[in-house]
Amino acid sequence: MIDKQLLNVQKLLQDHGILICFSGRLSQQLIEEYGEAVKSYLESENRPKNEIFHIFSIFIEMTQNIKNYCTRISGSALGDQIAQSSIVTIGKDGQGSYICAGNLIEEEDLRELTGRIDALVRLNKDELKAFYKDQLKKNDPQNGAGVGLIDMARKATSPLAYSVTKLGNNLSFFTLKAVV
Amino acid sequence: MVSIRHVYIEGTRSTPEVDFDPELHVLSIRGQSYPENAFAFYEPLLKWLDEYLADLNAESTVEIELQLPYINTTSTKCFLMMLEKLDEAFKQGKQVGVRWLYDEDNESELECAEEFKEDLLLPFRILPKTAE
Repeated sequence: MIDKQLLNVQKLLQDHGILICFSGRLSQQLIEEYGEAVKSYLESENRPKNEIFHIFSIFIEMTQNIKNYCTRISGSALGDQIAQSSIVTIGKDGQGSYICAGNLIEEEDLRELTGRIDALVRLNKDELKAFYKDQLKKNDPQNGAGVGLIDMARKATSPLAYSVTKLGNNLSFFTLKAVV
Repeated sequence: MVSIRHVYIEGTRSTPEVDFDPELHVLSIRGQSYPENAFAFYEPLLKWLDEYLADLNAESTVEIELQLPYINTTSTKCFLMMLEKLDEAFKQGKQVGVRWLYDEDNESELECAEEFKEDLLLPFRILPKTAE
């Protein structure tokens, strides 16, 4: 019964300082609604504009990356299950404000993605900037997932952190967290 | 000579307002940009720009007015392509310049403008909005 569980759901959200959470299939319209809502909420809290900008911008890149992945994989047998598995949260913990999102991902895509993030984590801000400019020049505008990750890494105050939970059946649950 | 048409696109939450006036030689883009498919949005504008710049004589002075509070990475790629075209025209002796207005309270907006400017030769003024 959901009514009996709401208190538990709320406790979980509160324990992690989660301000907003969306779970399910992402669409451009939802991304806009949530993004703008978070922006207005943070503005009403009088947070510095720069911080609001970074949270908004990481939220957009992260959700659009997930959405693009779901679109790309929509023809596969697991496409629907993957699209339904998207979850994104914005909250605040001891480190600062954070954006943390997760989704199911196929094994071969996982290796490529974690490889990219591992490479970014080793770079300092100047190296990230150089890499960003380089990739932006090379990148085909119709497949820009890599540049989005570099942009998030540049805006985050600590290195991007990810986790992987193996679920079998060639699927893992992948999460990415960026702290501002 | 076939004249190039005036382009006006109303802004939405995720796409900027576009006003390309080939008679006044003022091309302005204002607003946030994070559409689902940035390339689909900017491709016609890039094509328009190619034709416009090819027709442009050396006497006309063109002002590009940009006011972009937030642009996602795929839109950034499109702006880079656009600015490279303008820079190329400038190198060929055409009078094109950029005027970028930013919100003084948001240093990220200023950084974004400065990063574009770093790799370009054309006149590129970055001004706080309040100075308008």
